[in-house]
Amino acid sequence: MSNELNERLRAALRPVDPGEAFTQRVLARIASEPPRASLPAHRAARALELRWMSGALLAIVAAGLLAAHQWQAQHTQQGQEARRQVMEALRVTSEKLDLAYRVVKHTEHSGA
Amino acid sequence: MNTSARMLSAALVTSWLAVVPPGIAAAGTPGTLQLPNFEAIAGKAIQTVDISLDTSLLSMAAGFMDSSKPDDAAVKEIIGGLKGVYVRSYTFNGDFQYPEADVDSVRKQLSQPGWQRLVAVHNSPGHSNVDIYICTVQGRASGLAIIASQPREFTIVNIVGSVDLQKLHQLQGKFGIPQMQLPDSKPPAPDNK
Amino acid sequence: MTRALAGEPAAFGMLVRTHQRSVYSLALRMLSDRHEAEDLAQEVFLGLHRNLSSVESPAHLTFWLRKVTVNRAIDRLRREPRPTVSLEDAASLVIDAAEQRDPLLQRRLRALLAQLPPAPRAVMVLRYQEDLNPNEIAQTLNMSINTVKSHLKRSLATLRERLGDGARPGCGKTEIGCLPDETA
Repeated sequence: MSNELNERLRAALRPVDPGEAFTQRVLARIASEPPRASLPAHRAARALELRWMSGALLAIVAAGLLAAHQWQAQHTQQGQEARRQVMEALRVTSEKLDLAYRVVKHTEHSGA
Repeated sequence: MNTSARMLSAALVTSWLAVVPPGIAAAGTPGTLQLPNFEAIAGKAIQTVDISLDTSLLSMAAGFMDSSKPDDAAVKEIIGGLKGVYVRSYTFNGDFQYPEADVDSVRKQLSQPGWQRLVAVHNSPGHSNVDIYICTVQGRASGLAIIASQPREFTIVNIVGSVDLQKLHQLQGKFGIPQMQLPDSKPPAPDNK
Repeated sequence: MTRALAGEPAAFGMLVRTHQRSVYSLALRMLSDRHEAEDLAQEVFLGLHRNLSSVESPAHLTFWLRKVTVNRAIDRLRREPRPTVSLEDAASLVIDAAEQRDPLLQRRLRALLAQLPPAPRAVMVLRYQEDLNPNEIAQTLNMSINTVKSHLKRSLATLRERLGDGARPGCGKTEIGCLPDETA
């Protein structure tokens, strides 16, 4: 009896695949999010700074050009990371505002 | 005023300064909260959101938004009047793994003059609490604070500056912002009595 | 996983396809609502995309997905207390096209599981859907192993009793008195 119930539970809880449409919806949501930096901005900035210092010992002019290029890349990366963080902050804020409204709505419906 | 009264006044002033929370004494821009250091618990969290954007970073972010795209333009408009955005959100895999004293220390700041509570939602069965505060200076909104706590998650949001919640509402469904159930922003129909 | 970490969308798509069945089904069995389950499952994968660098191995990935899905489902259930689903309504919420023998019993079992409080429900789903042993369930839910075993024992006893008795009138309107109280 016990084994029979176990087997029936397994059968009843057999996983269900949501289908390819689900996959596409997930990927679409990810694609609509701003690109994220592979490293946090301050760590990426630190890595770039160390590479610039190594270049400066070998050739001053080349190091200067490299520094200018890397500053631009760092600025772009920081800017994109800042943009991503703004979106994330707005998302969290909206989520909590929505949570407050849902709980209020539920409380009203339950007559509390 | 005689010497005794002057000494008493000085003592009262000194003791008042002693009890004023350091956050207020050091506060710069109105609407800014002093957030605790959560590094110790961040390591235990299974998900962390830690965002600190001051005026310069907000400007930088705005510079990377494309004004020709309506969605980016809308976000730019929202953050245009802001001086800071700070978010600390931690999710844990067990109940109450965060120190409530730290969350309470933020709540205490919100009892200071200037802050008023807009919404207080406390759901006892689910231990869900959401408090929303606004800071006003001379009648104008200068800050927003949200403290949301559940058994396995707490979130503190502090937005410094004037944030338009209705414009935020209009971003629902975009950039991962959920479809919100906030009431419609349309004003009520005029009373024809 | 390495290619997904490098930011290749196709690689992340493969990760989603590989794990969506488990994640979605966990959410579905916990929330008993197809739309909410999809919403939660999407959230989990978005969270994975943001935190991919913290995943150490394929085994860790599976563990991470299960843990986050179930814990988020528990949070949702606790955050938004919902009216207990009646047996009839719960049975109609989830329609499995590949029902095997005794489909009515399977629906009934799912409906009964949907009436369990969040924690024992999570234990049962991880045991019988994911085939985890009590130790693995304890790690996933951050529970003691004794609590896991207690939830399993009491939930199975309740299911046997309910299957034997049939639906009692009045049960389905409130959880208290119909099912064991949730214990820590």
